[in-house]
Amino acid sequence: MQGEGLISAGARIARNNKRYVVWFFLLNLAFARLGASGLGAQASATLDHSFYADRLLHGFNLAVLNELIVRPEFGPARGATAPAMIFAVLFFVVSLIFMPGVLLGYSSDHRISRDEFFRTCGHNLWRFVRLFLFFIVIAGIIASILSGIEFALAKAANETSNERLPFYMHLASLVIMFLVLTTIRIWFDLAETEVVLRDQGATRKSVASGFRTTWHNLKRLLGSYVGIALVALLILVAGIVLWHSIVPPASVFGAFLISQATLLLLLAARFWQRATVVAFYLGKWTSIEETKPASTALVSAS
Amino acid sequence: MLLRASILIWLLVIWAVSGFGEAALTGLSIPATVSAINSAAPLSQRVVHYEIDAKYSPKTHTLDASETLTYHNLSGQPLDTFPFHLYLNGFQPTSTWAREAKREGTRGEDFEQLDATRYGAEEIKSFEVVGQGDLTSQLQFIHPDDNNRDDKTVVQVHLPKPVPPDGYVQFKINFHDQFPKTVARTGWDRESVLGGQWFPKIGVWWQGAWNCHQFHAYTEFFADFGVYDVKLTVPQDEVVGASGVEVSNVSNPDGTKTVTYHGDDIHDFAWTASPHYIDVYDTFQGSMGPVKIRIMMQPAHMRLVERHKRAVQVSMRCFDQWYGPYPYKTLTVVDPEPDSESSGMEYPTFITGGTAWWTPSGDRTSPEEVVEHEFGHQYWYGMVATNEFEDAWMDEGINQYVEIKVMDVMFTPSTSVYDFWGATVGERDGDHLFYAQKPDFDPMARKGWQFANSSSYGVITYAKTAVVLLTLEGIIGEDTMRQAMRTYFMRYRFTHPTKEDFLKTIEEVSGKDLRWYFNQAVYGTEVFDYRVYKVTSLPAEWFKNDLKEEKGKTEYINNVWIQRKEGFVFPVDIEVKFDNGEKVREHWDGQDRWVRFEYWKKAKVDSVEIDPDHKVYLDRDNFNNSYIVKENLAPAHKLVNYWTFLTQFFAQFLSWWLV
Repeated sequence: MQGEGLISAGARIARNNKRYVVWFFLLNLAFARLGASGLGAQASATLDHSFYADRLLHGFNLAVLNELIVRPEFGPARGATAPAMIFAVLFFVVSLIFMPGVLLGYSSDHRISRDEFFRTCGHNLWRFVRLFLFFIVIAGIIASILSGIEFALAKAANETSNERLPFYMHLASLVIMFLVLTTIRIWFDLAETEVVLRDQGATRKSVASGFRTTWHNLKRLLGSYVGIALVALLILVAGIVLWHSIVPPASVFGAFLISQATLLLLLAARFWQRATVVAFYLGKWTSIEETKPASTALVSAS
Repeated sequence: MLLRASILIWLLVIWAVSGFGEAALTGLSIPATVSAINSAAPLSQRVVHYEIDAKYSPKTHTLDASETLTYHNLSGQPLDTFPFHLYLNGFQPTSTWAREAKREGTRGEDFEQLDATRYGAEEIKSFEVVGQGDLTSQLQFIHPDDNNRDDKTVVQVHLPKPVPPDGYVQFKINFHDQFPKTVARTGWDRESVLGGQWFPKIGVWWQGAWNCHQFHAYTEFFADFGVYDVKLTVPQDEVVGASGVEVSNVSNPDGTKTVTYHGDDIHDFAWTASPHYIDVYDTFQGSMGPVKIRIMMQPAHMRLVERHKRAVQVSMRCFDQWYGPYPYKTLTVVDPEPDSESSGMEYPTFITGGTAWWTPSGDRTSPEEVVEHEFGHQYWYGMVATNEFEDAWMDEGINQYVEIKVMDVMFTPSTSVYDFWGATVGERDGDHLFYAQKPDFDPMARKGWQFANSSSYGVITYAKTAVVLLTLEGIIGEDTMRQAMRTYFMRYRFTHPTKEDFLKTIEEVSGKDLRWYFNQAVYGTEVFDYRVYKVTSLPAEWFKNDLKEEKGKTEYINNVWIQRKEGFVFPVDIEVKFDNGEKVREHWDGQDRWVRFEYWKKAKVDSVEIDPDHKVYLDRDNFNNSYIVKENLAPAHKLVNYWTFLTQFFAQFLSWWLV
């Protein structure tokens, strides 16, 4: 089972480099906390001295939450949402900047130094920006086409008297869109890996190479990515179920712990995907060059 | 001979003086039938008898019908002018309905363009008054509300001979309907049709004048009680449901069938047809006899049958026990075409719910809430037939209040709308939220089309009325309120009561003068907002430099300020708790803008709460009704926690796909 081997190899690489997940998670948490500071200030001004706030603590009354938000004293909704959006985008930017270092670390059989890490990040920054722009254009065009088709099909489905048809239409469209976008993601993950590991300055070559590799190994790579995505989905569902079933409504700390554990594991799943591509890339590299670098053993041992 | 001639002349003179020219048709009456009700005698003063023979074409969404309307003149004076509603003409771009809907949106409708599929029409082909001839050419559109000459929703006829008091007149009308794609709870969608407001309907002689308003974007309807005999001819594969009881179902040689319905003591008639309905039956044992419940389900909704049944049973039981009996033999509950504009509507003995096949058990908005609400209208509109044009709060608002009470029984007060994994909404919380957003644009006592906009109409008519009545319940007590509502229902069922009839009944049963409340809440627009303005605890010997505060020993001057922020004056209770566990209850009449309470105690104020028994729902802002001196950070932290989680998740999602 080659697919399993690839997933296992990716898991091993990710596990051996846990520090990246932890650092990214801490950044994710820190940014989100900063993003929530606006809401915190607005909410505290109203809730800290009111008995009515209890209806948000013991249980979670959505009408009371709405009442809080629509109060003039609460301030504009963008006071809470704008910082969250800004810090979410910031996390994306930071991910873009530091991903080359992570890929180098994943490809290396030793712990790379901080110096190596940051040098790689700086060295590949504009290449990653170019790849990102490539990705946005290609994924945007394909997603728009798919959305257009989905819209037309949904409209036709709505005209029928089979009420469930539009739902299954949406579901099927979502699955297809997920698979197509995942394929594009694999393509660009491979391109990014090649840019870093081969020090490829001409990103268009990496894009072309990534496309060819994805095309020829689609089943194996897509299987790995979808498998890991399903694990991520299970983590999310399990986390929410646990949150609901074992954490008392008033336990703020308990909710914090379980929510953060869930998010940490979700982030780890994405890094697992990246590690899987690195494992695949290194294994392929070996077969082309007919040499046996240390990382080949990693793949074949899996 | 001369004597005979003189007598004959005198008799002619006397006849001419006493009633010359009055169209007193003899032999006419409104049937005293009771086959559709659990009663040995008619329940209403029957004014109308509609006999309609209609044929519907699903291909063209059109209907051709003949209508014979017998009208009993109970106005106490001769009548020579008769107005009729032609509601379907509202769905034309120049109508008052469309203009208002375009301007402000309407009940579930907010459109950029009134799509041509949504045009409707109701055309009178011929209009005969029995004994007075064909008066089709005499018909005249009138516009009593806004002088919109393009509006064709009210037509009037002037009779050559007036109908005397207590006399009868019979109209024979042939008409043609073009149904719109469902809008404002009437029309077709896919293969189904809901026939609401579909026939020429006479206005109501009320308070000494004709009451026949144009069709407006927010308003509903008003009609007289009577008897309906309706024949509906449709293709044989259609499943048909309608107001009243089914009398016969006959297949015709041309592939159609004719279903005949009869209704007693009702004031409107609606029907539906679709090849896809699946019938489910149930029975409610009411205090006036059994009621046959027919639920017309969508095929994809069969897993929701039991929820429909329970919603109907609980609603019927509550109304029967609390307010009075449901006297009709049938109740038809239609689960209408999904995503159509025909869900959530009431007609006599016939209601539409509306749900989706995937509706989770935690979502009680459908089917439970909508079924309960529409059933409630059988009482507040169906039997207590208030003027929905002019006093919308009396049907929608009173019904909304009762909905809260019934949903409390069906679920719990805090989970009666949503209950998803700890995230909840209760019916009363939802109404309070809705009300608090726009509490002061219009008074409850305002004609429907005169509201500032559809949003204000919705807030005031539904939500404000509900919280006003909940607060009233807090003033007079739940049992008294229920007794007052029962008295109101039993006294005014099958009549057209006014708002004062309702308010005076409450005062009569409670034995209290409640004008101070009604004037502000019903007739006024004042906003209710009390708050704990300030709390201080100062050591009595604050001036001593070497003062050492010791719990239980140091005396404090505690001051509590309560402020009435807005104009609504209301007496309230206030509870002050001290850090030694002591509680003090105060009562403030609310007449002044603020009040200060001072306490000299060896304890500091721990918390202050206005309305500690939570009887007042009218207060727009509940957060400022209390003050806890020692801050409780947990609620805000919980919110921050949730928001952090969502932000992190969103950030990860973004990065997952983009890099």
